[in-house]
Amino acid sequence: MDKVLSSLGKYRLSAGVALFMMLLELAVELSQPFIISRIIDAGIRAGDTGVVWMWGGVLAGGALLAFAAGIIGSYYAAYAAQGFGYDLRERLYAKVQGFAFETFSRFASSSLITRLTGDVSQVQETIFMALRFMTRIPLVVAGSVIMAMVVNLKLGLMLAASVPPLLLFVWWMIRRAGRLFQLVQQRLDRVNGVIQENLTGIRLIRVFVRMDQENRRFREASGELMRGTVGALRLTETTLPFIMLLVNAAILAILWFGRLDIASGTATEGETVAVVNYALRTIGAMSMLAWIAAMFSRAGASAGRIREVLRSGDAASSAERAGVERLAGADVEFKDVSFTYPDSDRATLEDISFRAPAGSRIAILGATGSGKSALAQLLLRLYDADAGEVRVGGTDVRRLDVRSLRGSIGYVPQEAVLFSGTVRENIAWGRPEATDAQIAEAARAAQLHETILNLPQGYETRLGQRGVNLSGGQKQRLSIARALVREPQLLVLDDSTSALDVKTEAALLGELEALRCTTFLITQKIASTASADLILLLDEGRLIASGTHAELLRGSGLYRRIVESQAGKEARHA
Amino acid sequence: MRERWLDPFRVPQPETDSAASMPEAAQGGGHRGGTRPKARAKNMSGTLRRLWGYLAERKLKLTAVLALVALSSGLALLGPYLVGQAVDLYLDEGAANAPDFPWGWFLLLLGGVYVLTSAVSWTHNVWMISIAQETVYRLRTDLFAHLHRLPITFYGRRQQGEIMSRLTNDIENVSGTLNSSAIQIFSSVLTLVGTVSVMLWLSPLLTLLTFTVVPLMFIGIRWITRRTGPLFKVRQRSLGELNGYIEETLSGQRIIKAFSQEERVQGEFRARNEGIRAAGFWAQTISGFIPKVMNSLNNLSFAIVAGIGGILATRDVITVGTIIVFAEYSRQFTRPLNDLANQWNTLLSAIAGAERVFEIMDEDTEEKEDGAAQPIERVLGEVRFEHVGFAYDEGKPILSGVSFTARPGEMIALVGPTGAGKTTLINLLSRFYEPTEGRITLDGRDLASIRRDSLRSQMAFVLQDSFLFEGTIRENIRYGRLDATDAEVEEAAKLANAHSFIVRLKGGYNKRLSADGSGISSGQRQLLAIARAILADPSMLVLDEATSSIDTVTEIKIQEGLQRLMQGRTSFVIAHRLGTIREADRILVLKDGRLLEHGSHDELLAQDGFYAELYRSTQRGESVDSASESAGSRVSEAAEADVQAAGSGPKRSSFK
Repeated sequence: MDKVLSSLGKYRLSAGVALFMMLLELAVELSQPFIISRIIDAGIRAGDTGVVWMWGGVLAGGALLAFAAGIIGSYYAAYAAQGFGYDLRERLYAKVQGFAFETFSRFASSSLITRLTGDVSQVQETIFMALRFMTRIPLVVAGSVIMAMVVNLKLGLMLAASVPPLLLFVWWMIRRAGRLFQLVQQRLDRVNGVIQENLTGIRLIRVFVRMDQENRRFREASGELMRGTVGALRLTETTLPFIMLLVNAAILAILWFGRLDIASGTATEGETVAVVNYALRTIGAMSMLAWIAAMFSRAGASAGRIREVLRSGDAASSAERAGVERLAGADVEFKDVSFTYPDSDRATLEDISFRAPAGSRIAILGATGSGKSALAQLLLRLYDADAGEVRVGGTDVRRLDVRSLRGSIGYVPQEAVLFSGTVRENIAWGRPEATDAQIAEAARAAQLHETILNLPQGYETRLGQRGVNLSGGQKQRLSIARALVREPQLLVLDDSTSALDVKTEAALLGELEALRCTTFLITQKIASTASADLILLLDEGRLIASGTHAELLRGSGLYRRIVESQAGKEARHA
Repeated sequence: MRERWLDPFRVPQPETDSAASMPEAAQGGGHRGGTRPKARAKNMSGTLRRLWGYLAERKLKLTAVLALVALSSGLALLGPYLVGQAVDLYLDEGAANAPDFPWGWFLLLLGGVYVLTSAVSWTHNVWMISIAQETVYRLRTDLFAHLHRLPITFYGRRQQGEIMSRLTNDIENVSGTLNSSAIQIFSSVLTLVGTVSVMLWLSPLLTLLTFTVVPLMFIGIRWITRRTGPLFKVRQRSLGELNGYIEETLSGQRIIKAFSQEERVQGEFRARNEGIRAAGFWAQTISGFIPKVMNSLNNLSFAIVAGIGGILATRDVITVGTIIVFAEYSRQFTRPLNDLANQWNTLLSAIAGAERVFEIMDEDTEEKEDGAAQPIERVLGEVRFEHVGFAYDEGKPILSGVSFTARPGEMIALVGPTGAGKTTLINLLSRFYEPTEGRITLDGRDLASIRRDSLRSQMAFVLQDSFLFEGTIRENIRYGRLDATDAEVEEAAKLANAHSFIVRLKGGYNKRLSADGSGISSGQRQLLAIARAILADPSMLVLDEATSSIDTVTEIKIQEGLQRLMQGRTSFVIAHRLGTIREADRILVLKDGRLLEHGSHDELLAQDGFYAELYRSTQRGESVDSASESAGSRVSEAAEADVQAAGSGPKRSSFK
């Protein structure tokens, strides 16, 4: 069964009830013209009031029945659709959380967000509409035509004759309109793109006095949008008049032949009226067909995007879980490690080898793009090395249980990602059971405790959209506290002290030195590398030098140059 | 009669579905739900009048459309009426006197009505669309052009996303409404009035009986909407929360993985997911009642017409034809009622949208402030600040009492902690802001007497986060001077040290840059910005130096490029590097909006003040920024300044 629709499986009973209720409603509506033909022929023309009362009662009863069916159907359709949406979201989210990081990165996270929110809503809404209206529309058309033929075969056939050309026309229109609206959407995107760009670059435009040029560009884009929109809408606006014209022509034919047949006795007045009434109902339903098609095609596109997520990455995520061994120590060894990011054609890391004994402090230094962060990602097993081995506690990380490995690492990323919630929740984020004392301890070590106490509600201050905005340095320290509260055996700081002033940073580094964990400090600042047990100097993915500060000053030209560019210049002057 | 019809941008609603049953979120796709409150226009008549001003440019066509709508509403009534006549006069075998109008001619007449109905409704729809789209086009381009005339302070006060939303969502809203809702409301009213009149004329008794369902309808709908309103609010809120949670956890996926919090996050997700299911279920169920109620009342009125009408017909109070006309009309009058409710909401939100658009158009423009200012020729670049101060709000100066002189060709370094007023000073110099006290002169002329565009064409900016447009590298450099030849572009790139990396790129100068700037590094972006400035050949320069994120090699290249750029031009550099500061002719040390110290490097060292302390801490290997935050101040104080700067003052990040 389809990966997306299988979420409906659990709710098939509700969906079935909803559909059945809808059919009941439909039956009531389709019976109405037939009943009116009985009222006219057997009642009014025969002068039989009893018949009229009876059929009138049937109509009223039918209305009540349809009402009850509608209410019940609505309940079950909502139940099925909401359940479907819930289930699909749940599956998608679990799927995404289970992705190996590599699989996750293949999708842009913004695209995953859209798939989980907009696309799911779209499919869910379509299912709801399908259970309530959509499937009904084609049935109204088919049912009306069939009922018309049952009432009077010859007159009904005239109505039936108008249906194929109508279907053909609607089909043609939908295809064409689909293309045209796609074009409109592209042009709209372009208009919005120009706006976005202009708002972002507003000062630059002012400074270079390019307002006229930008206005011209925008007028062109909006002009195209206008012409596209007019063109597309002009086409779709022809549909309804055309459908009306064709069915109305059928009505004329029904009236013409109806009169002849009444004269010859092969039809009755009531039958003719009923067939005309069925024709009128066909117009109403037909006009909805294109709308349904549009909604289905959008839902189809959404379902396709969802399916793509559900299908991908099965292999990778099972590989990630393969390891079972527990972490046995905090010493780290890289043995001839090479790694290339999946979407890159240049090696990110090449032949990296080093040993970091448990409890040591390793500084990793290098230019942007030299592979520093990749090294951290391999350690965390967010990615796997293409060649060589990364060993932690003497075991290849691939044989370790991922949870056990990551559970022992405190990771502070380059960009301080915080979650909405209070300061306390953010610090305890990686260790929800942490006590107040432990949280305060971590905050103190991260040089954040005092700052937090100065916030409006201290540790209970809310962060993010509806709360306080922290400065860059404060965010970094919070993200460090979040790593420390886990009391990790390994600590990885990915250039995460860049926004701190020197005193704070020094105090922080002092705290880190007191910790017993193995610390990896990725940095661009010489000041923070000087006291490390081991400095790794990376350049374009290669480890070009390693050793202590003193060793590198002696042995590495590049290291000396970096030292000079940051502080040495002044040293020489002095 | 105007039917709702296919338009993917405006989901029409089937049969008798009401506005409440189709929540915005369902159509909104990827939007975060629940973040935008439903807006109502504050000054509806004023907004309508202005909108009318736009529409009135096509007054003739618009009048024609209205006339045609009236005509097609009439025709829509005539069709069913004629069918009823046909039944009474021609199909009823018992009819006493055969009509003298021949049957063939009658059908021809009916056919004519049908053709006319289709033709007229097509014409007015198509005409209205072109009127609507032209109007929207003018509205859009006017607003856009106005944005370029607004003072920069406007952009400091408003969030970019909010302005963006007015130019896109609000205008789209107006567009959709003008396309269809406007005439649909008109046609619904006409149809309603027409239907009721004809019904009353045909049979007042049956009309009254048919109308008994109307109060039922209103009671039913009110009962439902009173319940769905709050339910939808809850649903929107939980949808917003859920989407926010998804956004947050997917953006922070690296952290979740690194901290192995997948299971906990999934648990929290489930709670929110369940929340939305609970909220969504009742909202959807109850709002789903609306079309059912409408349908059932249609059915009921059909039963009344057929049943009671049938009894009346047997007593010859009415004819069979009347029943047929009523059966069709009774469907036609519940529909416009429902349409009206739908369209009314759309219309109101579109008017609110239009109001937000006009609100921006009412903002004062820079030109207005320019007054009698004159253009200038090429300047030497002597800049004097005389007791200059600036404040958004009185009593809260961002800059105050700043005086200094920059001689032509000098390099001025601006140093100080975040929020000290460095960016504000630059904004005053480029007349993005106007001083609230004191004055600034350029070559001895008051800056206020110089036209902004002419002043700015004497300046070039190179900023930390260089902004590039979507387009090729060549186009981006040429932005500095539109008439530059390819050779000149390349020459500028060579001077800026950008040429060597450009030719190595796939596509070279013709490589397209995407809007988000992927494809080249931030250092390379800055080299392009330098090339652009070199090409512009300005007399004055404003530079915001790069900080730590740029690697050593690129940094050296940028430095060289900048040196060449600064030669012979008065340059203002927001300095982050000691090297730059030392080479400056004059250093302005700003703190808390005041010019604390100024002079050359050696002079300032001799003074042994803030700068000297700053210098000493940088010697320990810190960047100037972090040092200037710690120099002479406690940590918490600097952090406080940070928060303040983010809240009120112009941030550097906004200076793009």
